[in-house]
Amino acid sequence: MKAPKPDHAAPRPEAHVAAATLVCLPHMTPARLRTLLDRYRGPVGALRAVRHGWFVPHNARGEPRPDLGAEWRRTAMGLSMGPLLDRRGTRVLLDGEADYPIADDIEYRPPVLLAEGAGSGAFDRPRVAIVGTRAATPHGLADASELGAFLAQRGVTVVSGLAIGIDAAAHHGALHAGGLAVGVVATGLDVVYPRRHHALFDRVRSRGLIVSESGFGVTPTPARFPVRNRIIAALADVVVVVEATLKGGARITAERALEYDRPVLAVPGSRRNPSAEGANALLADGAHPLLEPEDVLLALGLTPGVRRGWAGRHVDDRAAPTGLAARVFRAFGGEPATVDQLVTRTASNLDDVAVALDELDRHGWASRDRGLWWPGDPP
Amino acid sequence: MLASVTSVTLLGVDGQLVTVEVHVSGGLPAYTVVGLPDTAVRESRERVRAALMSSELTWPLQRITVNLAPGGLRKTGSGLELAVALGLLAAESQLPDGCLDGVGVIGELGLDGSVRSIPGVLSLVDALSRRGVHSVIVPIENAAEAALVGGVRVYPARCLGELRACLKGEEPWPDVPTPLRPPADETEDAEPLDLADVRGLHQARSALETAAAGGHHLLMVGPPGAGKTMLARRIRTILAPLEPDEALDVTRIHSAAGYPPSGGLARSRPFRAPHHSASVPALVGGGSRRPHPGEVTLSHRGCLFLDELGEWSPRALEALRQPLEDGVVRISRQPVSITFPAAFLLVACSNPCPCGLGPPRCRCNETMRNRYRQRLSGPLLDRFDLRVSVQPPEPADGPGADSVDVQTRVLAAVARQSHRLRGTPWRRNAEIPAGALARLLPLGPNATDVWRSTAERRELTGRGAARIRRAARTLADLDDSPVIEPHHVLRAAELRGEVL
Repeated sequence: MKAPKPDHAAPRPEAHVAAATLVCLPHMTPARLRTLLDRYRGPVGALRAVRHGWFVPHNARGEPRPDLGAEWRRTAMGLSMGPLLDRRGTRVLLDGEADYPIADDIEYRPPVLLAEGAGSGAFDRPRVAIVGTRAATPHGLADASELGAFLAQRGVTVVSGLAIGIDAAAHHGALHAGGLAVGVVATGLDVVYPRRHHALFDRVRSRGLIVSESGFGVTPTPARFPVRNRIIAALADVVVVVEATLKGGARITAERALEYDRPVLAVPGSRRNPSAEGANALLADGAHPLLEPEDVLLALGLTPGVRRGWAGRHVDDRAAPTGLAARVFRAFGGEPATVDQLVTRTASNLDDVAVALDELDRHGWASRDRGLWWPGDPP
Repeated sequence: MLASVTSVTLLGVDGQLVTVEVHVSGGLPAYTVVGLPDTAVRESRERVRAALMSSELTWPLQRITVNLAPGGLRKTGSGLELAVALGLLAAESQLPDGCLDGVGVIGELGLDGSVRSIPGVLSLVDALSRRGVHSVIVPIENAAEAALVGGVRVYPARCLGELRACLKGEEPWPDVPTPLRPPADETEDAEPLDLADVRGLHQARSALETAAAGGHHLLMVGPPGAGKTMLARRIRTILAPLEPDEALDVTRIHSAAGYPPSGGLARSRPFRAPHHSASVPALVGGGSRRPHPGEVTLSHRGCLFLDELGEWSPRALEALRQPLEDGVVRISRQPVSITFPAAFLLVACSNPCPCGLGPPRCRCNETMRNRYRQRLSGPLLDRFDLRVSVQPPEPADGPGADSVDVQTRVLAAVARQSHRLRGTPWRRNAEIPAGALARLLPLGPNATDVWRSTAERRELTGRGAARIRRAARTLADLDDSPVIEPHHVLRAAELRGEVL
């Protein structure tokens, strides 16, 4: 990998190197790091305590783990973090410093963050998190991507988790529109997960930042993702849930956001769409409905006053369907449907519906995915 | 002291001529079989001896050597025993000279001297007849089957004693029994199947009809309970009956596999539905030593139905690709390589994803779906001309057309295809190779543009576009339309959706 130019011409502060060393210790957890930093008043003191073997970490049940303390001591003695950070061009973001992106309205001590990427200005803009399920429908993916593009065009940084589904669609939308994106990952910054998002990781690096609170080399484990989600919530000024299942990670992000007093918006979905159950439940619990993209700007306080509708729909140049094609489009009722259902609802036959669907498909009124036909945007 | 008898043994589903030479000479009493006999053939010694004694014939207390020629070929099964026994009698001069010249002898012996039936008689007699042996002695139970081969004189044998008397002219030959026709079609289950049982599912029904008419492989994807299996099992009610040459082929294969159709010649097309735990040899044929036909061969000229395609082992599914392409299975076993016919119509069902619900109710994420989809390789999915997604019928859906109506349309479409394809080696639209498409399946004036633009928009490979064209022709045949219209192309494209 080509080494990016370090952000700071000045030598790296000792506290940054110490904090990164602590983050990279084996079995370091957010709770242990917090205890260390609180007890020894900052990373330099904490690292000294570890190197002298003064600090004995505890496990989740509160029992001391002297063996881990000894392992940390050995590791901390051998680690020379400064050159590694310089080579990778990694920035260390510490609570209380000027460039720390998380506002100080959060109750507990915010995490030490490692960040890499060319878009160092990403945190200077308003930030909106777009989160949702990995099992997204084509409609949800389109919403996330259009919302990402809309926000990017208005100078808003899109924050998400680089996961499959809604996350990736939001990142793609923002990057495609020339905006900045921040990806918060649950692994080390040198790990790409999911692996198929290699290209997306590279694009986010080149146009924004990838952020993690984990040390280098940390691999994905299920427990790390909900923990990671609290950072997404804390980094964002507004959290938008596009499609979320009832028990998915997006609900956790939304709950954390409410704890931190961030506005949460949810895109309403069909009762018949299991991928929208979580978003609908949030609405029932009092989240703001996101009916048009401007609603996000409203929540951000960037009120443009007028609602203009979804991005890309300002000019509808699609030829309006006529005859049976129009009837077939209405027969969708906004929901995906099988050819059989369309035949029954239009009281027509397979031949005519095939011709009508071909017309709708050619003009962007419907598309085929996984054996179903999905209606496009209404006129 | 030396006699030689012509017999025949099974090699795959074909017969292979064997000359049985029996030599009786002085020396210590002994019995040796040479010429690669398998265990069943080796065991013949005890049966031949007991049968001869039970028939009040003498077992020579001398040195007996039985040679099975050609020596390099492994002889299987017990069908050579009767030939050995008659050879022994001839060598002992207990039969008139030359009475076995130009006669093929097949049959197994019981300890009481009775002649027992063996599998694959049709293939065996067919092989004899091809090699110029036009008289055969066969077990009486197989006589009717042997008589299906034209131009062959069949001499039925009931037991060794009677057979010897007949050969000596002391008794008349028994008549060839006429097979008892079974009262009803034996392929039917206890409850007759009919397409009218299936409600709704317009598209899947149309796909099934197209598959039956044009020989297009069909994949149905949908949640459990949508009616995929119900529909697929009813394909045999709409398939066209076997042509005479096909019937002979099917009977030959099933007889060789040990399941001769009752009532002589097979009449309905085979329908095989193996369970997804089947092994690769069970599916495509094989097995050590004696290659056995697999399900693909047993469904030759019929339908092979694979339910729960995603549960099959990837190896078994990959093994299907070659027979799907070539219509035959080549099994190589030292020292021979055997070719089994395997031209079948593949109908398969699958769930759309691990949760089985499919869109829009599915809760699987892309990774889970990908993992499931990867079990069905692209090349295999590509071989399905028809891929439809099946959703449970809506409450408003009534029963569709019944099997008789649909079969009438299928038969008419088959007749149109045979007319169009006369003088070519192909019978159905699905078999026409890409090179002959332009000549045999011309598109109507407007349909060409639609076909091209569909292929372009859906980014189809040349092979995918050709498959749509063949299915479009079958749809036109079912419509009794002389040219392929645009809507046929669009329907065919719709019937070949990306279902997973």
